[in-house]
Amino acid sequence: MSDIHLTLKIWRQEGPDAPGRLQTYASGPISTDMSFLEMLDVLNERLTGEGEEPVAFDHDCREGICGMCGAVVNGHPHGPEKETTLCQLHMRHFKDGDTLVIEPFRARAFRIEKDLVVDRSGLDKMITAGGFVSVNTGGAPDANAIPIPQKNAEEAMDAAACIGCGACVAACPNASAMLFVAAKVSHLSLLPQGHPERARRALDMVREMDELGFGNCSNERECEAACPKGISIRNIARLNREFLKAAILSDED
Amino acid sequence: MILDSKVPGGPLAEKWDRHRFACKLINPANKRKFDIIVVGAGLAGASASASLAELGYNVKTFCLQDSPRRGHSIAAQGGINAAKNYQNDGDSIFRLFYDTIKGGDFRAREANVYRLAQVSNNIIDQCVAQGVPFAREYGGQLANRSFGGAQVSRTFYARGQTGQQLLLGAYSALMRQVKKGKVEMLSRREMLDVVVIDGQARGIVTRNMLSGAIETHAAHAVVLATGGYGNVYFLSTNAMGSNVTAAWRAYKRGACFANPCFVQIHPTCIPVHGTYQSKLTLMSESLRNDGRVLVPKNPGDRRPPAEIPENERDYYLENKYPSFGNLVPRDVASRNAKEQCDQGKGVGSTGLAVYLDFSEAINRDGSGVITQKYGNLFHMYEKITAANPMHEPMMIFPAVHYTMGGLWVDYNLMSTIPGLFVLGEANFSDHGANRLGASALMQGLADGYFVIPYTIGNYLATISSSPQDASHQAFKQVADEAAAKIGKLLDIKGKKTVDEIHRELGLLMWDSCGMARNEAGLQQALAKIPAIREEFWQNVAIPGSGLELNQSLERAGRVADFLEFAELMVIDALSRKESCGCHFREESQTEENEAKRDDENYAHVSVWEYNGDNNSPEFHKEPLTFENVQPSQRSYK
Amino acid sequence: MGSIGSLYRSSVGKKSIMAASGLLLSLFLLTHLLGNSVSFLGRDAFNAYAEKLHSLGGLVYVFEIGLLTLFLIHIITGIILYVENLQARPARYSVNTAEGGRSWGSRTMPYTGVIIIVFIIVHLLNFHFTDKSVPVADLVRGLLSRPPLALFYIVSLLAVALHLSHGAWSLFQSIGFNHDKYNGVLLKGALAFSILVGTVFILIPVLALVSRSFLL
Ligand SMILES: Cc1cc2nc3c(=O)[nH]c(=O)nc-3n(C[C@H](O)[C@H](O)[C@H](O)COP(=O)(O)OP(=O)(O)OC[C@H]3O[C@@H](n4cnc5c(N)ncnc54)[C@H](O)[C@@H]3O)c2cc1C
Ligand code: HEM
Ligand code: SF4
Ligand code: FES
Repeated sequence: MSDIHLTLKIWRQEGPDAPGRLQTYASGPISTDMSFLEMLDVLNERLTGEGEEPVAFDHDCREGICGMCGAVVNGHPHGPEKETTLCQLHMRHFKDGDTLVIEPFRARAFRIEKDLVVDRSGLDKMITAGGFVSVNTGGAPDANAIPIPQKNAEEAMDAAACIGCGACVAACPNASAMLFVAAKVSHLSLLPQGHPERARRALDMVREMDELGFGNCSNERECEAACPKGISIRNIARLNREFLKAAILSDED
Repeated sequence: MILDSKVPGGPLAEKWDRHRFACKLINPANKRKFDIIVVGAGLAGASASASLAELGYNVKTFCLQDSPRRGHSIAAQGGINAAKNYQNDGDSIFRLFYDTIKGGDFRAREANVYRLAQVSNNIIDQCVAQGVPFAREYGGQLANRSFGGAQVSRTFYARGQTGQQLLLGAYSALMRQVKKGKVEMLSRREMLDVVVIDGQARGIVTRNMLSGAIETHAAHAVVLATGGYGNVYFLSTNAMGSNVTAAWRAYKRGACFANPCFVQIHPTCIPVHGTYQSKLTLMSESLRNDGRVLVPKNPGDRRPPAEIPENERDYYLENKYPSFGNLVPRDVASRNAKEQCDQGKGVGSTGLAVYLDFSEAINRDGSGVITQKYGNLFHMYEKITAANPMHEPMMIFPAVHYTMGGLWVDYNLMSTIPGLFVLGEANFSDHGANRLGASALMQGLADGYFVIPYTIGNYLATISSSPQDASHQAFKQVADEAAAKIGKLLDIKGKKTVDEIHRELGLLMWDSCGMARNEAGLQQALAKIPAIREEFWQNVAIPGSGLELNQSLERAGRVADFLEFAELMVIDALSRKESCGCHFREESQTEENEAKRDDENYAHVSVWEYNGDNNSPEFHKEPLTFENVQPSQRSYK
Repeated sequence: MGSIGSLYRSSVGKKSIMAASGLLLSLFLLTHLLGNSVSFLGRDAFNAYAEKLHSLGGLVYVFEIGLLTLFLIHIITGIILYVENLQARPARYSVNTAEGGRSWGSRTMPYTGVIIIVFIIVHLLNFHFTDKSVPVADLVRGLLSRPPLALFYIVSLLAVALHLSHGAWSLFQSIGFNHDKYNGVLLKGALAFSILVGTVFILIPVLALVSRSFLL
């Protein structure tokens, strides 16, 4: 265990319409055993003591599963470690004297609410558009009635592991949400339960994504590299396939 | 007050069926005249919202996070139980019922637990139909594992992310109803109070966490599914936002609180490593299948684990419990770890940890097998601690994990306020004094998918369907009170941060009302809590205003409630002079220092009724009777 | 509404149109490349090949119209995508760091695209809207032995190669083809294709510059 000192340049913005700016803070001594969010906690405790407003940032589980946390650290959504959410990132990955620029996820579809907190309700809206199986409670057949090849179940799980953090959007040069949408469309199209609605789902979710003002996918692969859950762009290819099949061949519009 | 559990008559296996038949129905055309508020969008809240909306009710759902997909249920790792008996290993509804009630150390209602076991199978069917990608065998059938010491394989799982997948299933069902216009989803809203009019729950008051606006919402019934209160200890495995506020506010409006002192402490968590620490991370219990728990024999031994010779290692669980060894239940493992550390044999920089050593298993099975089994967990451990359990023993320590106590509910899941229903971890219903692994997910979904849709109709059928609105004077009054409290908090402008005070409270609770409790310690805590509360109301520092996103203010509101609630926990712990389940009263132990239950005097639910801020709460008993199982003393020797 | 129209209204649809037009343009490049390779066989072969092409008459015309349409579709769609993508992130980051997914090819698609437009115009002016009586070999040699123009061709053709280094892989992803078994082959194939196209095309201005005997 040892302490490091960092220079923090943190995006401060009072509200959605207020102008924002990078503000510089000295971190004070930071234990390398701390998580990134604990480092922000320490800063916030100090700011509070000094009567200043602490930095607002979203977080909840601090275990890398709820998808609530996230900020861009030196240009990297969730920081520089691969497959690691911001809450799971530990300070031992930084060196004494480092400067960290901490910014919110940026996209037209992600309004900044305050400091590092952004509005990601667009992700919910895309699920609302079609990211479900239309089955009411009750009346489901026995769970083992339809066997599902292990490989399909595993692949569906790979896609379903998405935590809805929005880092893919933040990392994409075009602020596209394709990886997120692709993860859901793939998850459900790989399982027989999702089949009846697969055409509708692909069309509706893509339409919603476009209407929300996310960008287009240029296959830059930045999302995959930034995704804390390692969601593969294979899912994007699958989404493209599902969408094109639906748009060209199905009766749905 | 007379507590009527409304458990239906008849044989255990027929109670739920009979009750469903006896429940009044509401005709489909009338359902759309009823508005229901659901607070919480974890497993219980999301499943309830979706199911009620499917039936035709108008639902408004609230949650703290920016999206309903983030409820704390998402963090559950291990799995969910069901009595499917797919493995043909002798499982049955009765066995799941029996294991659950025994696991709860005979402090839960038979009828509720039996119903839970009954609907457990429907839950799995429902989740699969939604597209939950449970683990499967090569042949395409669902896979099971045995979990939490059960002797049958009945746990369904989706890698180490079962809670996530179940919640995403419930969330998708919820969003489908949002699309249909049957659910209005209000995220980033914190419920601050319930509104009770003429003795019935009629709505809630919320704070819009972005704008700070205090809002009122009226409905024909209110469903609370706001999760557990483990964060009263400051450090726990719960998400940062988990709180008691909603339940506590309901309590102060007349909903009784049951067994508040029943808290589960999980034995295998990553130890605390510094004062800045904000939360504890759970390491799956399955690790104890291959890891050996040990400490150095000599107190104060600070050598690195590799340098401690075999004959100076104390495998205390194996020595003390030869037949169960490292696999003793959660409460026993937790208590023994604390005991070792209290004797000065704890390890790590804080002395508050024990080793979990895999070297024997690695030598026996080879590192490949161990990596395959635990690679993910080891990886997660390494991410947090920078140590690799393949090369050096893991360090673990118990942490607060789950709260069995909660708002008292009857068989219909209705609290003592008519029209106020409580689901999931927020109620007290099914786990008695100790919850078995993989049964909280089951309970949350049972409540939401399969119980509340029937029982709420039974209540709604008794009230008028005329539209509710928030213009009633009571709404304004409750909203004003909520606003006044916020104003008061902001006016303190003291010196201590919310977390500092919360940490102080947490430490006190951990020491005196944690893994083991005794009269003296509890009395001390009872004296100290009001002082901390006083300090809070005099000296807390909350920068910023109420009319904006203000996370310090949010936390302050929750800690203010924890500070009141903690006192009730201690009072409850004091009044239960027996050891049972996770509740270990040092005064009540066998000669071998094991928990000693006292069925003669304590086979009841302790139910507390609010009686004004300056009076002690009123105590009620709901006696527990066991007609189908014979309470037995647990032994793991 | 026809399905092409509805395709055009969606992001994924537009990308599939980019991919389809890009694929056809790539195929055209390949034939063009094979045709141009005849130049390495010498002046007479090359001239004969050009004669042969011209003699196809109406067919050439149809082909040219088709090609123009393809280019226009590709260019217009590309511009729309580019503008939409810019708008999707109005506030930029203060620090921009790649995550490791982007390549030189992928990040320069719109810019190499613009270079290609300019190139095509110059190229058409040089070889299409010109005195058709001059034998092709003389035309090529005459123009490309001038260092500034040769350099322009070389740079432009490098841009084409760069465009393809990403595009030739990307188009498969856009139409939904991505398979663990073939991904390695596809990625390497795309790179190989772009290098091949680049090398062969660039060889012509290079030879025209440095070789004394090329097309003489
Ligand atoms: C790390 C961990 C692992 C676990 N693993 C397992 C396991 O393997 N198997 C198992 O069965 N159980 C497990 N559990 C327990 C189980 O996850 C929980 O008990 C269960 O998910 C609780 O669900 P819930 O719906 O009752 O509450 P939660 O999921 O906690 O949801 C609470 C909801 O209420 C909302 N809310 C809270 N307060 C307010 C308020 N004031 N106003 C508005 N909204 C509010 C929140 O936003 C949230 O949406 C685990 C628990 C933890 C901590
Ligand atoms: C020699 C001619 C050309 C060929 C062979 C070609 C080929 C391709 C191919 C194969 C793609 C990949 C499509 C995909 O990602 O699915 C592509 C993308 C692209 N092309 Fe071209 N192209 C040519 C000319 C042009 C021109 C003249 C422009 C000018 C605007 C242009 C602009 C673009 C852009 C912007 C993209 C990226 C679109 C995106 O992913 O957002 N291209 N091209
Ligand atoms: S795909 Fe990855 S980066 Fe995108 S929301 Fe899901 S988990 Fe986050
Ligand atoms: S706080 Fe939940 S993923 Fe980081």
